[in-house]
Amino acid sequence: MTVLFIGGAHQGKAALARALYPALPRVENLHLLVRAELVAGRDPLALREGLRGHAVTCDEVGCGVVPIDRADEAYREAVGRLCCALAAEADAVIRVTAGIPQYIKGEKICT
Amino acid sequence: MLILVTGGAASGKSAHAERLLCDCAPSSRLYLATMQSFGAAAQARIARHRALRQGKNFETIEHPLDLAGLVLHRRYDGILLEDLGNLLANEVFAPDGAGDAAFGSILAGIDHLQDCCETLVVVTDEIFADGIDYPPETARYICDLAALNRALATRAEVVYESVCGILLPLKGEKGI
Repeated sequence: MTVLFIGGAHQGKAALARALYPALPRVENLHLLVRAELVAGRDPLALREGLRGHAVTCDEVGCGVVPIDRADEAYREAVGRLCCALAAEADAVIRVTAGIPQYIKGEKICT
Repeated sequence: MLILVTGGAASGKSAHAERLLCDCAPSSRLYLATMQSFGAAAQARIARHRALRQGKNFETIEHPLDLAGLVLHRRYDGILLEDLGNLLANEVFAPDGAGDAAFGSILAGIDHLQDCCETLVVVTDEIFADGIDYPPETARYICDLAALNRALATRAEVVYESVCGILLPLKGEKGI
């Protein structure tokens, strides 16, 4: 199964991914991978296939003023589009605030 | 009916707003575009939105300023206003914008649009959570957009936030 944890920075996404889905391999900080793909001149949307079957954590980065720097704007856009695509095919999407998971898609797991 | 759709950048809010409008407005649909097509990024965004709307039977009007002064020659089942963040930026920063009167001017424009249709869907932006200190004019813009969001959310029957393309109801629910 594929699970996406999203939320602001430092909200406890990775800890929840470990606690709730211990059997799934993890990809943490997807936003950083997106940045690296853009720097390397590759399309970050292509990351999607490699994320299947993982518990993925990603910072929500789109809730600020449009960045003046063109590369920052493209980064923010690419993170958002990849998260939309990943969420569409994920079994569960969990938004984490202050360490509290909210299931916005899929079945809640009880631990 | 007024429906407000908010969300961060690239959160899928436009696609949801269009779908919501198409669900509510059986035939006559107006897309009211506020974005001015300066620069490659704006043009790419406009092209993406056009592709999204293609085949959905929207009439399109580009109207970056002064919504209250917009003359419509008919009544619509639905109007989609995209988006509030651009409209406010135009009113505040463009030489012929409303300037300090932007807030009242935009609310009057929303009133006018509601008089012209059965269902108005407004798309707005979540820009309030990057924790960065901005120069006074940007800080004022952020504050004004937040005030507009609060005012419209108060008036709206239904408010959604789009997160990773998932529509989260914040107030009401369509159809109730």
